[in-house]
Amino acid sequence: MRKAGEVLETVVVVAIILVLLHTLLDDYSILSGWSVHARSWIIWVGLGFDIFFTVEFFTRFYLAFSNGRGSRYFFRERGWVDFLASIPLLLLNSLPHALALLAGAGLVSGLGSFLNVLKVIKAVRIARILRLLRVVKLFRGIRYARSPMAQAHVSTITTIAVSILVLWTLGASVMEGVGIIPGIEVPFTDGQLLRAGAIADAGPSPAALAQRAAAIAAIDATILVVRPQGGAVVWSRYAPAYYRQFFLPGDYGYLVSRGVEVFYDERPLAVSAARDGIVFFIAVVLTVLAFLFIYAPRFALQISDPVHVMRRGMSESDYNLEVRIPPERADDDVFELAALYNSVYLPLKDRLGNEGQGPAMALKIGDLQDLADKT
Amino acid sequence: MRAVESSPDPLSRFASRLLETPALRLLLALQKEEQAMNVLRINGPQLIPVFTSLGMDVTRGWREPAALISRAIRAEADRMMAAEITRLLSERLAFSFFPGVAGGRQAPARAKEELRALIVRAAAHPVARSALAGSLAAALSDIMEKYIPQAWERKKYVYVEITRVQHLALSPADLSDLTRCVVLVRPAAYLYVTPGETGDKDVGYSPLQEQYLSKILPGIAAQAPSLPRALISMGLRSTLAFPGSESVEAISRLGAIMAMRGRALSPAAVVDRGADTADKSWFNVQRRNARWHGLDGRMLDEMYTIAAENGW
Repeated sequence: MRKAGEVLETVVVVAIILVLLHTLLDDYSILSGWSVHARSWIIWVGLGFDIFFTVEFFTRFYLAFSNGRGSRYFFRERGWVDFLASIPLLLLNSLPHALALLAGAGLVSGLGSFLNVLKVIKAVRIARILRLLRVVKLFRGIRYARSPMAQAHVSTITTIAVSILVLWTLGASVMEGVGIIPGIEVPFTDGQLLRAGAIADAGPSPAALAQRAAAIAAIDATILVVRPQGGAVVWSRYAPAYYRQFFLPGDYGYLVSRGVEVFYDERPLAVSAARDGIVFFIAVVLTVLAFLFIYAPRFALQISDPVHVMRRGMSESDYNLEVRIPPERADDDVFELAALYNSVYLPLKDRLGNEGQGPAMALKIGDLQDLADKT
Repeated sequence: MRAVESSPDPLSRFASRLLETPALRLLLALQKEEQAMNVLRINGPQLIPVFTSLGMDVTRGWREPAALISRAIRAEADRMMAAEITRLLSERLAFSFFPGVAGGRQAPARAKEELRALIVRAAAHPVARSALAGSLAAALSDIMEKYIPQAWERKKYVYVEITRVQHLALSPADLSDLTRCVVLVRPAAYLYVTPGETGDKDVGYSPLQEQYLSKILPGIAAQAPSLPRALISMGLRSTLAFPGSESVEAISRLGAIMAMRGRALSPAAVVDRGADTADKSWFNVQRRNARWHGLDGRMLDEMYTIAAENGW
């Protein structure tokens, strides 16, 4: 049972590492303009990961709850990280993406209004940030420090730093979404509305509409398709096959202005978000790496290693090594304690040890029983 | 291994396997014995199931079977120690110092056998056997070769004490050889100590009295007539407390430090991150306990500095 638990924990750690790579790949695919086929795979894989982590959260929560430790798991054992990095992502990110993929353009355009589309995209973008909280989950699964105290301390401080980064960015995105902070979508969509109106000014004639659309599209590369509402396409930037190959639902916007439907390219917004996402991902990873490779060794050197040496010296009769005290840290409380250990405790222990049992016992009773059974 | 399997006596077989367990594998015979005896002494009552598994009669308590096993362990340790002494005499001792301390004469052929006999006699005596554990560990290690040449290069306290106060004109290699012999002769000082006289405290390491050593010196020297009397004297006098006996020769003081260091040598010990090295830690603790153990504090200071400078 314990072994199965360890295997599952290992699977979770591997899944977290993979999902972090997936996060990076997701943004990179948008930035590099990968094909629909490749990006669809990334969306399905993302859905699989989100389902996996949602199941993991419910399983952990159920097990903790049934043992009367639900609150402890959620608040003290970082269950809230499991929650934030699973269910909101599934509901706001991967599931809408996957459903849009299944429904094709119909879902996005069928939402009825441009504002609704924008809200979905906004929610998706906000939720994506939560994926980086999974970095924090790694700390539970990987034993990177010998001392449990160092492990717990560095995990806590990393959780605080990453959570502040993620939650602040999330908060800023929400404020951008509700208009407290102006985002890049506002001037972008304002511009599209203006240009759609200018196209509609050409009147109902398809030829005039096509001529006006071509003229405006020449100065605005985001105009993709223009057609009278419910009518045939009068102007298109690309052939239909190109749209099928490179446009996923959500890559384009749609609006209607005085009986004229205009489809426009939203990928510049997605590219901008993906660029931000990669920069943010790197910032989070660098923060974590800094804690792991700069802070954790310093913590070990200055706190947990001296404590470990003193603990062994006090609990093992044959362990008589002194704590190494760096001269520049000699005034630290821990090293002041270590100096006392070196100069008072160990000499006393040496005196008492020589009066008592001699060297400590490397042998255990179990060793003798095993030997007796074999003899 | 085959010899172990073919041994007809289950107690001997058990003792042999016990002393070869992974936890003890890297230790010397007397260190293994000390560990095994400690387990028996401290955990005696809890070991009744072990004694039962060995087919021993436990109806009269644990002491009797524990004593039988102790005897088997000691016999096995003797067997192992004989091999260690042979290795020591053939590989680690050259007696190259002989001309320097024996009026120019070379070491006679029987000198090594007489030293072996002295060690074996010490091993047969409970208190001297305890002293022998540290001496053998030090003599089999390379501790002399590490510290004496360094002290020679420094030309400080150890060098001055040996060359200018004791007037020994030996090379560092010869001096290492001499110190090794001093350390091996040292347990003989306890040959006439009555077991239990030291109250189990610091058995084999308690300082002895100068008058007492003067009395036993002729007897010990007679047991090893090929060895220079000065060597025997230095070995025995390494048990004198310093600075209590100001006339103790520098080599004796050095030998006392080496024997004590040998007692604490642990080849399997791993230096934890955040800890100082084994030698540096030991010398630093002993600097503070120098008076307690009757060791030369200034020599310990120098050894500590050498250990610190060399990362030992």
